[in-house]
Amino acid sequence: MIVFGVSATDGEAYRRYAHPGLELAKEPDSEVYVFAAVGQAARTYNLLIEAAARHDDLEALVLVHPHTQITDRALGAKIRRALSDPEVAVVGAAGATGVRTIAWWEGDMSRGAVTQAYHEYGGGKLPAFAWKPNNPPPQEVDAVDGMLMILSPWAVANIKFDEALALGHGYDVDYCFQARQAGRKVVTADIALDYHQSLELLRDHSLWVEAHIQVAEKWQGRIPGDAPANEEPSEEDWKRRARRAEAQREVARSIAYGSALTLDARVLVLERQLRWTEGTWSWRMTEPLRRLNQWRHGRNGAGAGP
Amino acid sequence: MIAFGCPITKPDVYAQCAESGLQRSAEPDSAIFAEPSGGTIFESYNQLMEKAARLDDLEALVLLHQDTELVDRDFCHKVREGLKDPDVGVLGCVGAIGVRSIAWWEGSVTLASFIHRYQEHGGGDIPAFSWAWADAPPYARIGEVDTLDGFLLAISPWVVRNIRFDESLGCLHGYDLDFCLQAREAGRKVMTADFRAIHHHSLELVSDPDGWMAAHIKVADKWEGRIKGIGSGAGTWKQRAQRAEAEADAAWLNHYRTQQLAEARVKDLERALGSATDSISWKITAPLRGISEVRRRTRPRLRHLVPGRE
Repeated sequence: MIVFGVSATDGEAYRRYAHPGLELAKEPDSEVYVFAAVGQAARTYNLLIEAAARHDDLEALVLVHPHTQITDRALGAKIRRALSDPEVAVVGAAGATGVRTIAWWEGDMSRGAVTQAYHEYGGGKLPAFAWKPNNPPPQEVDAVDGMLMILSPWAVANIKFDEALALGHGYDVDYCFQARQAGRKVVTADIALDYHQSLELLRDHSLWVEAHIQVAEKWQGRIPGDAPANEEPSEEDWKRRARRAEAQREVARSIAYGSALTLDARVLVLERQLRWTEGTWSWRMTEPLRRLNQWRHGRNGAGAGP
Repeated sequence: MIAFGCPITKPDVYAQCAESGLQRSAEPDSAIFAEPSGGTIFESYNQLMEKAARLDDLEALVLLHQDTELVDRDFCHKVREGLKDPDVGVLGCVGAIGVRSIAWWEGSVTLASFIHRYQEHGGGDIPAFSWAWADAPPYARIGEVDTLDGFLLAISPWVVRNIRFDESLGCLHGYDLDFCLQAREAGRKVMTADFRAIHHHSLELVSDPDGWMAAHIKVADKWEGRIKGIGSGAGTWKQRAQRAEAEADAAWLNHYRTQQLAEARVKDLERALGSATDSISWKITAPLRGISEVRRRTRPRLRHLVPGRE
């Protein structure tokens, strides 16, 4: 049996996105647990793990973020295929190799038909994580994104989310690192989903930075798959690393400023063009025609419904 | 005499930007050293300083990038005013305090009297915050700073004869901060002044990230402990490393999201524009706009036939 679990941090999002996806993807014998969020994701996910572990016939636990809408009718078959390798502990729709931090997307990415659905500017969809080249799934990876995590029965029985990472970011990477430390595999599968997310920039910047530090501290010198490293680098090593990191930070910020300026410039051209179009005499003169047309469309639309 | 120095790698850019500004702002007796670049910016500027240092009546050397256009007709007067105090070593129109690295803009910027003029997407201007005093925020002020933006520097004769750009630092980045730090270490003041310029520059702010990062590290190592603040940061080296790594990842994430935002906004506007120009009403009125366009084009040509107009 495939069990689905949702930590309902946002009831409205669950109703609009996760729920229709679950209705599409679940199988007749699937169990769906929707738990009220208790603290950060890690604690609620552990409750979901405990609930799933009670099923003797458990084939997989699918942890679905409330903003994730599964659009893949063949999800069950894909899960079974991915978990047919008994070494696989975690399956995701998007992940990466070379992951060093909670910013897993800085690694070499692998994702299936994952799109980001946004609601600003009239709404639309973009391929998720499209800023980097993509290795199509299935791929063995270091970590997968928490928007959809599929845990094997072994993972459910043996690994818990780390509730000490209480800041709410990086629980996914940490879980995958734990699985790999235990000798198991983390893989991507070609799963189709829409992730409904605003286009806004990082909202809780300070919190995210602290979570990044917390996870880095936990895994310092012992990230699974790394060559044996010094877990206690010297002051000189840290200084070198700090210098490099501070330089990288400033360059990243400068590139981000540049891309924001470029965005403004691109938008300005189109806004100017649109203003010009709508300001022309011919456009204003034909305004009644467009109103009439709109009214006609409205009438047709009203008549088409049940 | 106020001398001007400008190393040239692109003669067309020089002609369009720096030269046209010099025609406006230089004085009849000004020496203008506009020469092909002699290597890195550090080397080129040092060569220009050697030349200026030989001028007995030198009042100041103004170093400017080839894409910098001066706009003040009384620029030389403002430079003289700024350098009246013999302790002042370097003047500029963009500066900051609380600077810790070559990313001086991450400090507290006190003055930014320039326009960023770009060519991409049909071109445009981005006036910096103190371009127009009437619109300037309350923190905009003229005064002593830690460093200046190197696209326009006015240098006192003492500095011209006693300080050089540090050629060991690389090819391009960090020369301005390092030069200002040298002047300050020598006891001279680095000040902003009330002159303005147009910086004709791409919207891409860092074209050579690796070179930029190398310079960032070199300058921090060079000045750590010599000038307060430079190369410093809160916490232990370990804390600094972990924090900076996190903040770098956050900055990249914001960069990626800005790209997504751009795509969404552009899509939306294109959709609106498409639905406007694909509409029947737009299509049937095309001949009217054609007539209007012809009238608009011919109007200036006909205008010169009106008596009293050239």
